[in-house]
Amino acid sequence: MKTLAFLLIFTGSLFSYEHKTNLSLDYVNYDKFTNEVVSFGDLKLAFENDIFNTNITLEYLYSLEYKKRRYLLLNELYFTKEWDDYTLGVGKSIKFWGELEGFNIADIYNQNNYLKDPFDTDAKLGSIGADITGYFDEDYLAFGVKFYEEKVKYPATTDPYYPFPINYDKELKLSDEKYSPTFYLLYNFVSDDYFDTETKIILLHGYDNKRYFIPTNQATLVQFAYRVNKALLLSHLIYEDYIFKTELSYSDVISDDKMSDYIQCSFGVERNFYDIKSADLGMYVEYYRYIYMQDNKIKNVDISEIYNNDIFLALKLNLNDVKSTELKGGLLYDTQNSEQIYKVEFKSRVFDDFVLRAEYLQTIAKQNTLLANTGDTKRFVLGVTYSF
Amino acid sequence: MLTLFTLKQKGLIVKNILFINILSMVLFAQSAEDVAKKSYEVISNYKSSISTTTMVLRNAQGVENIRKLEIKKLENKSGDKSLLIFLYPTDIKDTKLLSYEVIGGDDKQWLYLPAIKRVKRISSRNKSGSFMASEFSYEDISSQNYKNYSYSGEAEEVVVDGIKYFKIIRVPKDKNSGYSKQIIFIDTKEYLARYGEYYDKQNRLLKKVEFLDYTKRDGVYRVYKMVMKNVQNKKMSILTWDEDKIGVKLSKKDFTKRALK
Repeated sequence: MKTLAFLLIFTGSLFSYEHKTNLSLDYVNYDKFTNEVVSFGDLKLAFENDIFNTNITLEYLYSLEYKKRRYLLLNELYFTKEWDDYTLGVGKSIKFWGELEGFNIADIYNQNNYLKDPFDTDAKLGSIGADITGYFDEDYLAFGVKFYEEKVKYPATTDPYYPFPINYDKELKLSDEKYSPTFYLLYNFVSDDYFDTETKIILLHGYDNKRYFIPTNQATLVQFAYRVNKALLLSHLIYEDYIFKTELSYSDVISDDKMSDYIQCSFGVERNFYDIKSADLGMYVEYYRYIYMQDNKIKNVDISEIYNNDIFLALKLNLNDVKSTELKGGLLYDTQNSEQIYKVEFKSRVFDDFVLRAEYLQTIAKQNTLLANTGDTKRFVLGVTYSF
Repeated sequence: MLTLFTLKQKGLIVKNILFINILSMVLFAQSAEDVAKKSYEVISNYKSSISTTTMVLRNAQGVENIRKLEIKKLENKSGDKSLLIFLYPTDIKDTKLLSYEVIGGDDKQWLYLPAIKRVKRISSRNKSGSFMASEFSYEDISSQNYKNYSYSGEAEEVVVDGIKYFKIIRVPKDKNSGYSKQIIFIDTKEYLARYGEYYDKQNRLLKKVEFLDYTKRDGVYRVYKMVMKNVQNKKMSILTWDEDKIGVKLSKKDFTKRALK
């Protein structure tokens, strides 16, 4: 109610705005669960006045079959003020930190929206914070703060893709106060002395985006958030037709005796072929690895661990036709457990405002693994999105 | 005697006329590169611009699709900078493409994907790929700086439909170009490129382009319509400028990755 009142007062003082709405309707065919019809969408509003800009994103999801898969969410509400060389931002927002395509170990500002789709790393929850960025030609330096840690919702025990073997307590346990802020310093610089490169270095002090889960009793898992000093390096290098990418991270756990310090690293190569019978083809090879520093402590416990020691191979074919037809296919192969996830996506515009989508996902899991716990092995999605 | 003298005199006059003609051709004939340079100069020095454009994509059966985009440009000695903001269809609205032209090298390009808030570096060797599913390729819509091409010989003067043109042949220096050569027809009065023929890597005619509706503003010629016909697949794309402001207040800062977000 407070938010609504604020929005009404606020929007009254504006003189220019833009909007964009996406409404989607999907039919999802599961292998082991009841099939569902799900509607989801978002409304994006951008307001501008003489003093500052405002961006709002409202999201909803409504499953006809699964009552716990329903939400209406104000996922973004942030204000930005721009000066010649500086930008100040405050509010609930989504940021992207990453270089690779399949999975981004460095994309840690926001939590994933597992309720929407555990296999979609682009589905994220807005985080409340503030940041100031200074620009120096092509380089920039940002200092930011995230005010508190959000709870993360997972699918209900009876719904597809519930990832745990026992019940889950959605209350978040923290190693410090809930409102203990997380700070970060980000420096982005470019160089073309020898090779054309762009690099980000991020230093973070505060809560880790990874969480661990331990049983409080025989029947319930509890989610713990712990504080870290983290250093991240993201970089890409252009060499002829290739783009080489890396994301590295070192996390020193500072407020939890149970959790091990850890290193994450990932490497990738992208190669694009253009104008093949008018089409473009992108090829991607990536590898992700987690290394835990203390054997006697907790490790391999976060949902993102399904990417550990994995190779990602993918192709993207863009037909460059008036329907913007795109076909993507990818394989995530776990070199340790030989688990596999296959995904094929297709989308094509029908008329100018509708996009037809289809997706096939198959998981091949080993017994008693996190992937096996998700409980389903195949899904087929057919959907349409209306944008206006 | 008189007749002999007259004939000698006539011969001398003819020789003189021939000499003057040859001399004038040598003195006044222009190299293809000079013509290309002048043609580039008459459309240059607008400093910066903000334009909104509509692109009509027409397939071989005549079915049309519409694209709309805003184009911001900044002239720069070492290569122009441009920012393209997609406006329509709505599903790609707010997608942005930032390009830095590098004369004699690979351009630099970044794509902003608003759905995931990602600025993605893209391989800039994509010269020949289709731009927004149109018959325009990325190199067709980028700066037409004469330095990006090599020329040979003199500009040939030709008359087409009663209008005099300089016919020049230019070869893209970039090995990633989709063209083996381009023949451009430039009018002899204003030095404006009026139409052209683009040849594919197998040296077959691929596209015919027309540059229409030139308007002179603040001493600079601006083209307001481009028609690109692909003679091989029979598709056609028409790019028209709905609004165009030049000499606007834009600086290098408006063409950094900050502008993408």
